[in-house]
Formats: sequence, C-alpha cells, structure tokens
Amino acid sequence: MGRPTSSSSSIDSPNHFAFSSTASSQRDLTTDLRLGLSISIAPPFVREQWPPMKAAVAEEEHECNSSTFYVKVYMEGIPIGRKLDLLAHESYYDLIRTLEHMFHTNIIWAEAEMDRDHYEKYHVLTYEDKEGDWMMVGDVPWEMFLSAVRRLKISKC
Amino acid sequence: MQKEMAYSFPDEVLKHVFSFIQSDKDRNAVSLVCKSWYEIERWCRRKVFIGNCYAVSPRMVIRRFPEVRSIELKGKPHFADFNLVPDGWGGYVLQWIAEMAGAYPWLGEIRLKRMVVTDESLELIAKSFKNFKVLVLFSCEGFSTDGLAAIAASCKNLRELDLRESEVDDLSGHWLAQFPETCTSLVSLNISCLGSDEVSFSALERLVDRCPNLRSLQLNRAVTLDKIANILRRAPQLVDFGTGNYAAELQPDVFSNLAGAFSSCKELKSLSGFWDVVPAYLPALYSICPRLTSLNLSYATIQSPDLIKLVSHCPRLQRLLVLDYVEDSGLEELASSCKDLQELRVFPSDPFGVEPNVSLTEQGLVAVSLGCPKLQSVLYFCRRMSNAALVTIAQNCPNLTRFRLCIIEPKTPDYLTLDPLDAGFGAIVEHCKDLRRLSLSGLLTDHVFEYIGTYGKKLEMLSVAFAGDSDLGLHHVLSGCESLRKLEIRDCPFGDKALLANAAKLETMRSLWMSSCAVSFGACKLLGQKMPKLNVEVIDETEPPDSRPESYPVDKLYIYKSVAGPRFDMPPFVWSMDEAVKILH
Repeated sequence: MGRPTSSSSSIDSPNHFAFSSTASSQRDLTTDLRLGLSISIAPPFVREQWPPMKAAVAEEEHECNSSTFYVKVYMEGIPIGRKLDLLAHESYYDLIRTLEHMFHTNIIWAEAEMDRDHYEKYHVLTYEDKEGDWMMVGDVPWEMFLSAVRRLKISKC
Repeated sequence: MQKEMAYSFPDEVLKHVFSFIQSDKDRNAVSLVCKSWYEIERWCRRKVFIGNCYAVSPRMVIRRFPEVRSIELKGKPHFADFNLVPDGWGGYVLQWIAEMAGAYPWLGEIRLKRMVVTDESLELIAKSFKNFKVLVLFSCEGFSTDGLAAIAASCKNLRELDLRESEVDDLSGHWLAQFPETCTSLVSLNISCLGSDEVSFSALERLVDRCPNLRSLQLNRAVTLDKIANILRRAPQLVDFGTGNYAAELQPDVFSNLAGAFSSCKELKSLSGFWDVVPAYLPALYSICPRLTSLNLSYATIQSPDLIKLVSHCPRLQRLLVLDYVEDSGLEELASSCKDLQELRVFPSDPFGVEPNVSLTEQGLVAVSLGCPKLQSVLYFCRRMSNAALVTIAQNCPNLTRFRLCIIEPKTPDYLTLDPLDAGFGAIVEHCKDLRRLSLSGLLTDHVFEYIGTYGKKLEMLSVAFAGDSDLGLHHVLSGCESLRKLEIRDCPFGDKALLANAAKLETMRSLWMSSCAVSFGACKLLGQKMPKLNVEVIDETEPPDSRPESYPVDKLYIYKSVAGPRFDMPPFVWSMDEAVKILH
C-alpha cells in the first residue's frame, strides 16, 4: 500500500470550503458538495484520521459514491430512528418538509415561526456537529451544515 | 584448576562460537556475562537493530560496535501511518549515514522504516560504502528518483533494493538505466510504490535479463498487463512477483501468452500487485495457484464470486491480504479450501461509507477461525462484532500471535446484546497465550483492560482507540502487561494518574504514544523532570503547551526511553519536557 499524498493534511483547515453560499446557487451544487464533501462526507472521523488505514488504500478504493449522505434521525420518545439522505435535499426548507412528513409533526428550526399556544404540536430540530455539540438547525449556510452534521434529533418543545 | 580452564579459551574460539549466535536478544545476553565476553562480543557484532532511532545516538552505536555490516533503524511512531504524526516531526537518517560513512566502510546493509531519507543521504550511501548490498526503505519519504539513480549507478554488487510503501518524488524514469551493464547481482527489486513515469520499462527488462539470481520482483502500477509475460519469461526463477496493472481488454493471444508465462515460473510462491483487475485474466494464474503460499489482493477490486474461484485454486495458501469484497461467503470458501492459512488481512473497500457496501461481517472471521487451525495473524476491518463471535474465535484459534480488529464505527457495541465488547476481547487475551500484538475497537470499558492486564503477559504491542472509562484502564495495562514494549492510544479518557503511578514502567518499554487523551501539561513536565531516562515530547501544532494552564491536556504525547538524551532536531511544534533542554531555552 502506498503512502498518503500531501492533500490529506489540508482536511483540517476550516477554510477547506472554497465556495461561498451566495455563489453556490449559480453552480452545480452536487459537484461542489462532492468536492467539498468527498472527504468530509465521513465526518468526523476522516478529519480525525480514522479508520486506521494507510491513506492510499482508502483514497483509491473510495470510489466517490458521494451522491448520498445518510444521517440518523431520532425523535424523542421513539427508540427506533430513521435514516435520511441529506443530499437528496436542496435546502433547509426541503429538509424540514421531509422531516415533518416523516414524523408527522411541526418542526421548529432557526427560521420557523411557532404558534406559542400550541407548543405541544411542535418539535425542535437539532443536530450533532463534529465536536459532539447539539446545535439548532438553520443558523449556518446549508453547505456548511452538510459538512458539520453527524445526526439529527427531534425533541419536544 | 577447573576455574582456570573455564577462562582459558582464546578470544578467537569465543568469537567463533559467538558467530553462531544471531539473535539480538541472545547477543545482548552474551555481552552481559562478563567484561571480556562484552569486549569480544562487541567487536564481532555485525548486525544492529535500533527500534527507535532516537533511543541512541550514532556515535554511541559506533563506539560500542565498531565492526557493523548491517543496520536496521526505525523512525516515526506507528501512528504516523494514519497521519497522526505531523510532517516534519523527525526521523531523519542523514546524520546516521554521515557518521557511519566514516566509521563503517564495510557497511553492506541498511534497512529503514518510517524514516525521512533525502537524496543527499542516498548519494552519501552510494559514495561511502564500497560493498553495499541491501537497501530497504519501508514506508520512508523525502527522496526522489535522483537519489535512486545514485544508488543504481554506484552500487556494483547491489542485491536488494526494496522501496515498499515509500513516497518517492518522481523526476525521471531513467534511474533504472543507471544500473551498469555489469550489474548482475540483483536478487530483490521492489518498486511497487513508484508512480507512472518513474520506470523505464526497457531498462527494467534488460536489468531482469542480466540478473539470473532475481528471486523477488514487484512492479509498479504503471506496468501494463501485456508486459508481464515478457518479464516473467526473462525471470522464470522468480519466487515472489508483484504485477502492475492487471487490466486489459480480453484478447485470447494476450491471455494465452500470460498464462504460458506464469506456468513457466515453477518456483513462484507469492503474488501481489493486481491493481485494476479484470477478472477474466485471473484464470491465467491457475497453473501456479496450487503452489501459491502468499497472495496480496489488497488493491484488487474484484467481487466475491471471482475471489472465491481464485482462492479455491490455492490449497497451500498461508497468507491472504484482500479487500472486504471477499465477503463472508468468500471467507467461508477460504476456510474450506486453505487449511494452511496462517495470516489473514481484510481491508475495507469503502471505509468512509455510512452504510455497509458489502456483506462482510463477523461471520467471515468466525468461519476462518473454525476452518483454519494454523491461523496466527489477523487484521480485520468490519462493521459489526459480537462477544459471542470473539469468544468463538478465541477458542478456535488459541495460537493467535497477532489480532487486530477494527470495527469501523468507533464505540460500536456487541450488535446482538448491545453490551461492550470487553468479554470478547477478554476471551482473546485469555485463550491466546502467545498473543504478542493486539488492536482493540468497538465499545470498551475499563474491564477490557483488566482482562488485558491479567492475561496479556506476552503482549508486546497494544493499540487502543476510543475506549475505556478512566485511568484505571491504563493502569491495568501498564501494571499488568509484563512484556509490553509499544503502547499507542488515541481518543481515550486516560489522564495523569495512571501515567504517573506507572512512570517506572515506561523505562522498560520502547515507547508510548497518547493523542487526544487527558494527560495534562503539568504531568508531562513532571515526567520529564523525574525520569531522566525518558524523552517526554509534547506535540501541539496550534500553540505552545505552556501558553495554557498546566492542567490543560496536551494534544499529543510521545514518550520513549533513550540513552541519547533529548533530541536536537525537534520542529517548532514538538516540545521536550527534559529539564536540561528547558534550561538551554
């Protein structure tokens, strides 16, 4: 097995994402995502050099099938989770719509408006990021979210 | 009278007796018997192995062993293979070569692993050692084809040039043509790591032609399938062969030429290479398969049915390296066909995929453990495991010496019971009494370390990641594993207590690596202060460790025993905790 090329050391850089959120709408989003995510598609463990393999074998065999990116989604109170392909969605709105349909509820996220009198009908959507912190969905640009998200959680209000 | 006779052997007799003692351990024991044996032994030691190039200085080695002909050096810690050691960390061989150039004019063999080798070093080797025979650069970096050209041109009696898994700067493919026409001595040539333009094929053919003793040849990926037959016909005496690219459009004449060339190699026992395999060309190997003892298919992206067919032709197989495309079904076939199997390595084809892409589970390994009674060495990547399977494997294979399991998702529990895998690994260390090397994975508590400390008495190397609950885990290992030489840990909640309580243990080991754990800067300083025989090095690429409170954990820590004192080639992101160095600053 060969040795890694030097490109692997650049994965850690927070400036790894070459595109800005305004320009991306004009480009082929899936290509950008594939480029930006081809390594981080396996957050967080590629950044943390896992699994323990000599990188050349990993890089050669990883036939970028990154047209999908499944994350686990749990709803509070239901032990069995679901899986969702984030790359099948174009934006937060798209994602929220899918989740609301999947879990039969109203989802609160950064840009949602809630009817405070009926809070029991709402669930808050959060995600676990690479550092293990739980954050509200919707604060950062969609592409940035995709690179940071590990899994989703839908909690009661 | 009796006493005098015991000491009356002339030195030459003792020297002759010692010449039959090859192992380093035995040689070291001999040198401890008495002063005169120490003296005689040191003058006739010809081979030196240095497991950590910073444990001793070149000058010290030369002073003690003035007549060395063969040296082996290792540089970076093992976790450098997984990019955990930053570039520029160290492991430079130049100073060693420079000092040995003066002291060992008859040095014939240099074997290096994980070291930084520059063209300057290679040129110095070429210039300095008139009887140079063997150069092995295993997982090395820092040199180019220019350095190789110097070696080829100057080393008139070169027997072995092995560049396995090294990173070489390709500047020109013509270095191979630098081997003079008079060079006919090659026995082993491994250029499998070279890129596309680094080999002049015609020079290679001519070289192979004029080296009748060539036993081992590993080509690089750029060599196409149609060229294999030419090479093999020039070297039918090969024992070990690595193909290049094994892909081409299926053409009957190319196929029959290839099959004929393989069948003419009556000594061929070991195959590797196989980049980009076209399955239709695999039957060209069938004539030699019955003799094969070693098969490395770790680059071969072929699916299970083709793998099964191939493996079923190799009843004498002792060693198999393969991708997880082999699947459980392929491993079941392996278990029934290859009763001599001693070593199995299964690598993941899609290590970063969230979903499994192949049907490879713990069942495959269980099947092999059941069917292959001689199994000794395992490296297995998979996505699920159970305690029950590990217990079965342990009971089936009590002769395991190396067991490395990597469950791809960290902290994965037993998929049947959701328990930690403590009991399973416990069974491995309990039943496999000769286990020398172990790598853990999955969900593990401090209990697994209790088992390891209790039963792992012959364990020499342990790799741990994302495991344990507290310092107690580390304490079990350091206090219980009597034979421990190398311990490497990442992402575990181990802190100061176990390390400080077992500081003396560290002097009996080669090295300890801890990264993303909870060892404080203060503890590192204390260790550096109290343990002069240890080099305690803190690695931090973001900021100096003393810019933060002492209680703050260090990013990476590498501790190793050394008689050379702190090293002087540390890059800015490595800090020595040695008091002497700090005073100088």
